[in-house]
Amino acid sequence: MLNIGNEKLPLCSGHGPSRRSFLQVGSAGLVGLSLPNLQRAEAAAAKLGKKDTIGNCITIFLVGSPGQNDTWDMKPDAPAEIRGKFKPTATNVSGIQICEHFPLMARMMDKIALVRSLHHKTGATHENGQRWMMTGHDFNADSVKPHVGSIVSRVFGSRGDLPANVILPGPIGNTGAGPLHGQTAGHLGSAHEPFFLNSDPALPNFKVVDLEVPKGESASRLDARKRLLEQVDELQRRTESLSTQMHDASYERAFRLLTSSEAKRAFDLDSEKVEQRDRYGRNTFGQSCLMARRLIEAGVRYVTVNHFDTVFGQSCWDMHADGGSLNNSYLDYERHLCPQFDWAYTALLEDLDQRGLLDNTVVAVVSEFGRTPRINAKGGRDHYPSAWTNFLAGGRIKGGQVIGSTDKIGSRPNDSPVEPPQMIASIYKAMGIDLDTTMMPGPGDRPVRLVDAEPIGKLFT
Amino acid sequence: MEQKYEGLPRAELKLDGRRVTRSAVANDWGLQLLWVISRDGKQIATANARPDAGYEHPDKMPGSYEIVLRMWKYVDYKKAADGEFTNSKFIDVSNKVTYRI
Repeated sequence: MLNIGNEKLPLCSGHGPSRRSFLQVGSAGLVGLSLPNLQRAEAAAAKLGKKDTIGNCITIFLVGSPGQNDTWDMKPDAPAEIRGKFKPTATNVSGIQICEHFPLMARMMDKIALVRSLHHKTGATHENGQRWMMTGHDFNADSVKPHVGSIVSRVFGSRGDLPANVILPGPIGNTGAGPLHGQTAGHLGSAHEPFFLNSDPALPNFKVVDLEVPKGESASRLDARKRLLEQVDELQRRTESLSTQMHDASYERAFRLLTSSEAKRAFDLDSEKVEQRDRYGRNTFGQSCLMARRLIEAGVRYVTVNHFDTVFGQSCWDMHADGGSLNNSYLDYERHLCPQFDWAYTALLEDLDQRGLLDNTVVAVVSEFGRTPRINAKGGRDHYPSAWTNFLAGGRIKGGQVIGSTDKIGSRPNDSPVEPPQMIASIYKAMGIDLDTTMMPGPGDRPVRLVDAEPIGKLFT
Repeated sequence: MEQKYEGLPRAELKLDGRRVTRSAVANDWGLQLLWVISRDGKQIATANARPDAGYEHPDKMPGSYEIVLRMWKYVDYKKAADGEFTNSKFIDVSNKVTYRI
């Protein structure tokens, strides 16, 4: 096995590196990129003429999943072991209440549509929910479905030098049940894999690794190396397949990213006012939300912000209170998670609105599932895919409303049940994508619908 | 990646009668922010300081009142058997203001 950065390249048994591996290593080294992001660099040209008529999307993924009864679907009249420890607060929309620990969000409810009747019927692992909410499908390793942003990248292409699909600050890691988190391009290929930032934008010395010219390289030397790479690639093109050419396009795209002043500007948080950075919160999540706005402004079509990358050994939404490695509790919600989310999320909505971007940028807040209506013996709540609340704002979404409801204890949808593919379809529609006329290549290049569901009609009326 | 909180948040409090106002928090970590009210040296109340930059404590019992802004400092999520954090804690992020009734 040969390692390039974090990438392991297989060697032919007993015969050293394969020619393919050699070319990959050589090309990566020439432009100075880590191979994972290099291969993920978006490279396909726009497919349709209407590419600039659609809007954008920022999806915030709450890894671990908040409990519906503790956040956006409170049950103040239920018994103590159901209603939990928090109180509801009024919002700026009459009749809609949310948790007291989202006071700023409460003042912006007129922009937000809560969907309180989400549920799914497959497993209760984090990964089941991640696959549903990132792709509109549950699936296994034999039939990996593409991330929504990868579909947008494939169908609508990129604008300028920036990738169409970016995930901040990094991919979802270990959440307990395997590597299928729904944040890959699947059959759409490496050209449409998300571009992962892979660094913490809250750190004082923050840099995007893949935008840095390697130490000891000058721009002219890099150009010379690129010309050499092009000669190698030309030879390669004459002898190898279409898929090889797709990789070549990825390398070209990666090189453009590396040398693009537009990309460097977009990722440069230091050019923001200090007060603006404070307004988002000086933490990984807050600065990722600010970065998301910058990227949308610069032309990225789809940005996903993962609020945490694991559920183990750190503060996150997965509130089992188990006393071990899943020991999040009400105290984490009250002091850390709810305030951090409230501060950054409302900063993002305000900022997009003030810049005139909210009307063409959907902001979707999604999670894997809900949590058990009854508090467990240790004071936490466990996984519960039968009912939960997510929400949408911006784009064509009509805010200030609630879609669906749950029963008295938050255990199941009471009316207007919504399944994950309907949320994905609604995101597409809110971006201005017509699901009846827009297709993508399925496996084998057969045209297929972007998602097998209809949007939630009430969100748009 | 575990979230890191760099630097120290800081805000300035001003008092006008019993009403206290705060500046924006510089280097704001974005975590829970509380008005902490003490009377004669003993903490008697807290209130969420995120929604508004001003606060007036309703209590009019005679005594010496002190108000300070406090923010949650997340170090890690380790907790003792009673469920309370062991390393993460609230810290003062402002000057203190006092008044007497």
